[in-house]
This record gives sequence, C-alpha cells and structure tokens, in this order.
Amino acid sequence: MSIQTLADVEFGEQLPTFTPDTSLNTVRKFAHAVGWQGGRFEDHERARKEGFPGALVPGIMGMGFLTSTVHQWCADAHVEQIDTVFRAPMIADEPCFIEAVVTDIDEERSLVELDMTLKNNLDETRVFGTARVRLPKAG
Amino acid sequence: MVDIDALKQQFLNKDFDSKTFVLDANKMVTVAQASGESRPEFTDPDHPSFQAVPAFICSLASGRHLPIDFPALGGLPMDGGKAVTRHAPVRAGTPLTGHTHLADIYDKKGRSGRMILIVARMELFDDKQNHLATTDSRMVIREKSST
Repeated sequence: MSIQTLADVEFGEQLPTFTPDTSLNTVRKFAHAVGWQGGRFEDHERARKEGFPGALVPGIMGMGFLTSTVHQWCADAHVEQIDTVFRAPMIADEPCFIEAVVTDIDEERSLVELDMTLKNNLDETRVFGTARVRLPKAG
Repeated sequence: MVDIDALKQQFLNKDFDSKTFVLDANKMVTVAQASGESRPEFTDPDHPSFQAVPAFICSLASGRHLPIDFPALGGLPMDGGKAVTRHAPVRAGTPLTGHTHLADIYDKKGRSGRMILIVARMELFDDKQNHLATTDSRMVIREKSST
C-alpha cells in the first residue's frame, strides 16, 4: 500500500514489492550515463570473458532501485540517507525484486528507517541496505 | 599482519583527492529512469526542483579511492557497498567539487582469513561552499597471508 504521511506508517509494515527493469539494454544505458562503459556492463559474452557469470548490473544501480522503491511507496518521501551493501553480483536480464520493511519510526523528526533487500528469483540476496527517509507529517 | 591503528593514524581524515564536476541533465534523467524513478524532480529537467538521484551522486565518487602512498595490502579492492547522505539538492549545470578522504579503516575476521575494510568518503560542495552530499565507498581487501 502506498502512503501519504507519517501517520499512515506502521512499525513492521512491508513496502509493496518492486520489480525493477534489469534488462541488458537498461543496464547499458545506466552504465553509459554514469561513465562506466565496459564489456562487463554491456555484453554477456564479454563479461564472461572477464570471469563473470554474465553482464553485471552496477551496484549503484541497485541503490537506484531501492530509492525508487521508497518513492513508489510514498510520493513525497525524501531519502535522506541510503546505505547499500553489495553482497553478490546482480546479473543483467535476470529478474529480481525488492522487499523493504519499516524498522523504526521517529515521530518527532518525521523519519522512518527501512531495511531493504534486493533478491534474485532464487531468493538469493544480491544487495541489502538501510534507508533513512523523511515523510510528510500528518495534517 | 597489517597494523590497522597505524594505518588509521597515517591516513584517516586527510583529503587526498579533489575533483570538479558539472552534471549533465540528460545523464541524470537516464540514470533516474533506468532506476525505475518516475518523480519529475528526478526525470524532468524543467522541473523547478530537478536534481540527481542518490545513485547518480554516488557515481561521482568513482575513481581513485586510496591515497597514492597507501600500502598494498593484498588483492585488488572489491566494492563492498556505497552510501549517500543528502544535505541539499545536487543540481545540473553548476560547478561542484568533491573532496575525498578516508573516513574509517577496520577489519573483519572470517574463515578465509582477515578482510580489511576501507571507507573512502567524498564530500560534495557547490560553488558557494554549500555541503550538498556525502558519499561513502566501502572497499574490501582480503589480506595477503604472511605464511
């Protein structure tokens, strides 16, 4: 369920699952835009020649997916801080999904803390992290 | 075995790199859209609050992550993760400067030996010296065995 203000949030609440676009074409666009041109982000075969299982999704693209998950949950959320751990490579063209849960609510400062996990379809964690998010106050 | 305290004393909190940037609005939009972002403040350069998503801010920290005189500890550093703290909007078309220092050095012991973790912190400022954002890049280095 998407929310409007801090008053809509419950401790332990799960955010709607987000399924990002990990297609090679989208990964390639991202990599070019951040100046990370190279076979490992653009071409499965070239990535395999470098010893990877396939073309990689840049770790910071995982951070982008997590941020988008927050914004889809609350259109006026402001991600003040996001911290990601790259646990294992994400591979382009392999579906993945993001789950997140509310782990703390600071009503005075209108902040929530989220634990976030990006997994592949084998339920293996690829990226996990935390976010500190400012939400609009009620009323 | 590497002396972590000695490394800290020699290298922590000393700027070792400085870079300037002018962000390209089209690239900011591409990164936002590829990340699944739909909010106009990140996808529409004409929006009055148009700004970079955290992942784009993080990308500015790529490049040299260690001081030039930092000792070789073992294998190549692996990217262990990144963090962004946003203090103010990071906008396109204005000069930005990023100053980088090492913010932490620590170790973790596992079954396969000791890993050394190094946090390179870049602080991003605009041309009026407003602190816009801080990025942390965590590098993980498996210590070379001494035997």
